Amino acid sequence: MAREAKPFKKESITIDFLIQQLGDTVGVELTKLNDVPLEDRSITESNLHRPGLALAGYLDLFTHQRIQVIGNTETRYLKNLSEKERKSSFKKILNFELPCIFFTESNDPGTTLVKMATKAKTPVFQTPLPTIEFMSRLKDFLNDQFAFQQAVHGALVDVYGIGLLIKGKPGIGKSEVALDLVERGHRLVADDVVVVTRKEESVLMGAGTDIAQHFMEIRGLGLIDVRAMFGIRAIRFQKRVEVVVHLHPWDSDEEYTRLGMVDSFHEIMGVKIPLVKLPITTGKNVTVLCEVIAMNHLLRNYGYDAAAVFADRLTDKIKDKDSAGPSRGIEYFEHDYE
Amino acid sequence: MIEKEITVANRAGLHTRPASMIVRKASEFEAEFFIHKDGYEINGKSIIGVMTLAAEQGATLMLVFEGPDESEAADAMTELFESGFGEVK
Repeated sequence: MAREAKPFKKESITIDFLIQQLGDTVGVELTKLNDVPLEDRSITESNLHRPGLALAGYLDLFTHQRIQVIGNTETRYLKNLSEKERKSSFKKILNFELPCIFFTESNDPGTTLVKMATKAKTPVFQTPLPTIEFMSRLKDFLNDQFAFQQAVHGALVDVYGIGLLIKGKPGIGKSEVALDLVERGHRLVADDVVVVTRKEESVLMGAGTDIAQHFMEIRGLGLIDVRAMFGIRAIRFQKRVEVVVHLHPWDSDEEYTRLGMVDSFHEIMGVKIPLVKLPITTGKNVTVLCEVIAMNHLLRNYGYDAAAVFADRLTDKIKDKDSAGPSRGIEYFEHDYE
Repeated sequence: MIEKEITVANRAGLHTRPASMIVRKASEFEAEFFIHKDGYEINGKSIIGVMTLAAEQGATLMLVFEGPDESEAADAMTELFESGFGEVK
């Protein structure tokens, strides 16, 4: 199989981008408490930090490069200090270059602390969300931002709810198969360049690129826009990659699966995906085969393995000495000849 | 395998016409051809792939060739890039 691109991940994201995304895509309500340039500060990791100990004065191993989340406990601690102690406590963490500070559950730091943060050029935000809820949503967003990605050559189509990644050498007809699947009511995610993101160690999510979204190149025809031509029902923006179908010319030396359909795996960023090697020969309807592959995957997911069922049936028949050997599937044809 | 770093010379960058020239040229060779940019690696024989890069003038690309005629492919592609695709530099 052809060599693959190397996985990569984002080095950092700016606080400006983070805040915009949290508001627009994640849907977290945020209030900006001070006016400092957000493009200057950035984060390089998905971990969050609650600076309780740092505020109390213990600064060893203070992970100041992380986003700082101040919840009820820290706020209560600060409130119970005298004005002078409060300022000195907050100053301790502001001495570091913090990406930004979030106050959860609508906790109010008060104007003095906000002014100190502004002076230190540290952005401060407030959210009505409870700390745990806010941290879980923020963490999920950051995990996605810093996840490994890989550009994969192939076509990703949702066939009966199963994400089929169709691979093969240029010119073998991946796009044509994808187009045929779309024509039969399945949904295109991306053609040619599929950006695969690894989520939670073992899940691969596929999407197109911003430029090529739902465009397709068909050799001899040129570029077509699947969304404009087939409408909204023919596309999807994301789909989990669940089965890889590898199209290749028939090779008489290659050993093809005769029973189990899936016998090997295709690895993307360390995640193993069931692989079906599909030889292309004349008269073969690859589209229908792709549908069968998807349905078979569904059956297996629901606990039905056709090859295993057949094998069991065969073993039972051989074991039963009275009925061993081939026989007609119908004992008696009733007299209606239908 | 041959790896070659190259800069996009023409002013308009890799828009539709240069992209199709690259794909056409790459398809003349048996060698596989990949282009790297900003962490993305795309197949140089796919027009959508090349256009996905949205490479601007001055962008640095890493070209990778692999196959029996890789050196011929690398030479031809270098020449094509250096010519600025027959456009104003």
